[in-house]
Amino acid sequence: MSNLMIKAENISKFYRLGVLSSGTLKEDLKNWWNRKSLPENAASPNSKNYIWALRDIHFEVKPGEVLGIIGKNGSGKSTLLKIVSRITLPTSGRIRGNGRIASLLEVGTGFHSELTGRENTYLNGHIMGMKKKEIDRKFDEIVDFSGVERFLDTPVKRYSSGMYVRLAFAVAAHLDPEILIIDEVLAVGDAEFQKKCIGKMKSVSGEEGKTILFVSHNMQVIQNLCNRAMVLEKGIITGSGNPESVISQYLKSSDQQFLGHDYTLTAGLPGNEFIRVQKVEMIPDYLPQQQFIDTRTALRIHFEFWYDVEEAGDLMAGIQLFNFTGEMIFDLTSERQVFEKGLISAECLIPGNFLNDGAYTVSLVFIRNAAIRLFYLESCLSFDVEDYRENGSWYGKWAGMVRPGFPVRLTPLQQ
Amino acid sequence: MDNNAGWQWEINANQRWFRINLKEILQYKELILRFVRRDIIASYQQTILGPFWVFLQPLFTTFVYFIIFSRVAKIPTDNIPPMLFYLPGSIIWTFYSDSLSSTMYTFVTNAYIFNKVYFPRLIVPLSYILFHSFRISIQLLLFIAVYLFFAFGGKHIHPNASMLLIPVYIFITASFALGCGLIISVYTAKYRDLDNVMQFLLRLFMFAAPIVYPASLIPEKYKLVFWLNPLTPVIEAFRSSFFSHRPLPLFYLGISILSSLFILALGIVLFNRREKQIMDVI
Repeated sequence: MSNLMIKAENISKFYRLGVLSSGTLKEDLKNWWNRKSLPENAASPNSKNYIWALRDIHFEVKPGEVLGIIGKNGSGKSTLLKIVSRITLPTSGRIRGNGRIASLLEVGTGFHSELTGRENTYLNGHIMGMKKKEIDRKFDEIVDFSGVERFLDTPVKRYSSGMYVRLAFAVAAHLDPEILIIDEVLAVGDAEFQKKCIGKMKSVSGEEGKTILFVSHNMQVIQNLCNRAMVLEKGIITGSGNPESVISQYLKSSDQQFLGHDYTLTAGLPGNEFIRVQKVEMIPDYLPQQQFIDTRTALRIHFEFWYDVEEAGDLMAGIQLFNFTGEMIFDLTSERQVFEKGLISAECLIPGNFLNDGAYTVSLVFIRNAAIRLFYLESCLSFDVEDYRENGSWYGKWAGMVRPGFPVRLTPLQQ
Repeated sequence: MDNNAGWQWEINANQRWFRINLKEILQYKELILRFVRRDIIASYQQTILGPFWVFLQPLFTTFVYFIIFSRVAKIPTDNIPPMLFYLPGSIIWTFYSDSLSSTMYTFVTNAYIFNKVYFPRLIVPLSYILFHSFRISIQLLLFIAVYLFFAFGGKHIHPNASMLLIPVYIFITASFALGCGLIISVYTAKYRDLDNVMQFLLRLFMFAAPIVYPASLIPEKYKLVFWLNPLTPVIEAFRSSFFSHRPLPLFYLGISILSSLFILALGIVLFNRREKQIMDVI
C-alpha cells in the first residue's frame, strides 16, 4: 500500500489544432488525403499544428493534503484537472491513485430546468457518484445547507440564480469522496454562502482529512486553504511548495507583467516622423514588505518621447487603460500645451484603492490640436492587480470596473 | 516501480479497446434509472395532455397511414383490419427511430455533462433506450386494448402462443437501435453534416421495413435483402403472433437477433474506443 493518494508521472497532453477546428467531413477527408499522399508532411507533435497543453507533469499528493494549483488562463490547469477527473485522456504518462474521486469542475452539473429542486438534488447527486442511500441520508442536511427548502418542489427554472447555485453547491458539499477536485467554484454565490463554503472546505480537509486538489485564480484563497501550491505555466510546473513563497515568487516572475520599456536599449524607437517614444515605465508604489501590485498599490506611469513638429499647434498626450476583456477603464489626457521640438517627459499617478483586481494594459495616444492623432502606442505596459481584502470571509470576484476606496458613511438618524 | 500493487486506479494514455466495464456500469444503475426518470418527467412538463401523448401519437400516426396507404393508395394489409395492421408497425418503428435519434446525439446533447464529470458514457445511451422501452411498453398496452376491441367486435383474428416472444421483439429492436445509435454518435460528434443526412436516411429507411405494407408484397428477387433488415422479421413476427395469418418467420428472426447483436457489439466497441478522444473534439 502506497502512502500517496495520487501519483502522476510524465503526464503530457497535446491538442491537434487543425483537426480540432475542422468538424466537417470535407475538411477531414482532405486532411486524410493529405496525410496519405504526403507522408513526409505527416503531423508530428513538434509541428506547429499541435499545441502542448501539458508537458511532462510529475506530482504527488499525500493523504489530507490540500494542493492549490495556480496558473494563468491557458496554462494547462483545466486540462490537468480534466485528466485527473477522467474526462479526457493524457497523450502520454499515467496517474495512479487510491480512493474515490469526485470532481467539482462546476456545480449543478446535469441540473434539468424542468425538474424540481428535490429531483435535481438526486439527479446531480447520482451524476456526481453518490448512491441513493447516501443522498437519502444526507438529504435534510443538503436542503438545510442550501436554504431553499421552501422551493424544493418547484422546478429549478423558477429559481433565482443565487438559489440555483446554493442548491447545486449544497449537493457538491455533501459529496463524500476521499479525493476532491475543485475548480474555482467559489466565485459564485453571496457572501454569507461563500463563508459557509469556505468553512465546509476547511472542515472537509482539516477534520475529515480529505485530500483536495484546488484550482483558483485567487491567491488569497489558495494561501488560506492550501498547504501546498503548484504553479503551472504553459503546461509546465514551474514551482511547487509552501503556498506563501510559491505565490509571491509566481506573482513576481509572472511574464504578463510588463512594467517598463526603455526603447533606447533596443533597435529603434516606436513612433513616426512626429512622435518617437523613448521610454515607458510603471513604478508601483509598494507598501512596506509588499512584493506585488494589489488593489492598494498606487501606480505611477512615466513616459518620455521626442516631439518633432515644426508648425505651430498644441499637443495633448493621453493614457488609456484597458482591462483584460479589452474594455476601456479610463482615457486620461494632458492639457493642451504648445511645445518646441525636443524630448518631453510625462507622468501620471493612479492612486491606490482605485483599480479593481485583474489584468490591465496601457496604451498611449498623442493628439495635435485636439483633433489629429499623431501616434498611438498600443499595449506598451501590462500589469496585474492582485486582490486584497482585510477580512478573509468572502473571496468572490469583486464586481465593478473599478474599486475605488470612496468612503461610505452610515449615520444613525433615529433610535 | 512499474507494478500496480497498492494503487486502486490508474489513468493512462492507452485505451482498453475491448474491455467493457460491465461491473462499473452496474454500479451506476441508479444513475441510469435517474436519467430515465428525468426524461419521463421532463417530457410531460408543460404539456396539457401530459402522458396521454404516449397513446395519442401512435393513434394519430396509424390514422394517417390508414387514410393514405389504405384508403388512397389501396395497399393491401394481408386481410388484417388496417388499423390493427398499421398500429404495431408504427409502434415498433417509432421505438426504433426515437431510440436511434436520441442515442446518435449522445455526445452532442450531453457534451455539457461529459465535459464536467466522469461516469461510464454508455450509461446515457442505455438510459435513452430504457426510456423509449418504457414508452413502447405503454404503447403495447394500447395496442392490446385496440386489439381486444376489434376481437370482441366480431373480427376473426387469432392470437397464438408466440405472443410470448414480444420481449424478444423489443430486445432485437432495442439492440439494433442502440448499436446503430452508438456507431453514428461517434461521428455526429465530429461531423455536424451527418445531422441532415441521418434525418433523411431515417425517413427513407422506414419504407424499407414492412410498416405501411405487408412483406408479402415484396417481389421474390428482393426478398432476401428485404428480410435481412433486422426490423422486417420483428414486425412480421409481431403480426403473425397476433393474427396467425402467416407462419412465424423463425429463420429470419434468428438472423435478425444475430445481426442486431453484432451491430450492438460493434457499436459498444467503437463507442468505448472513441469516447475519450471525442471529448477533445466536441
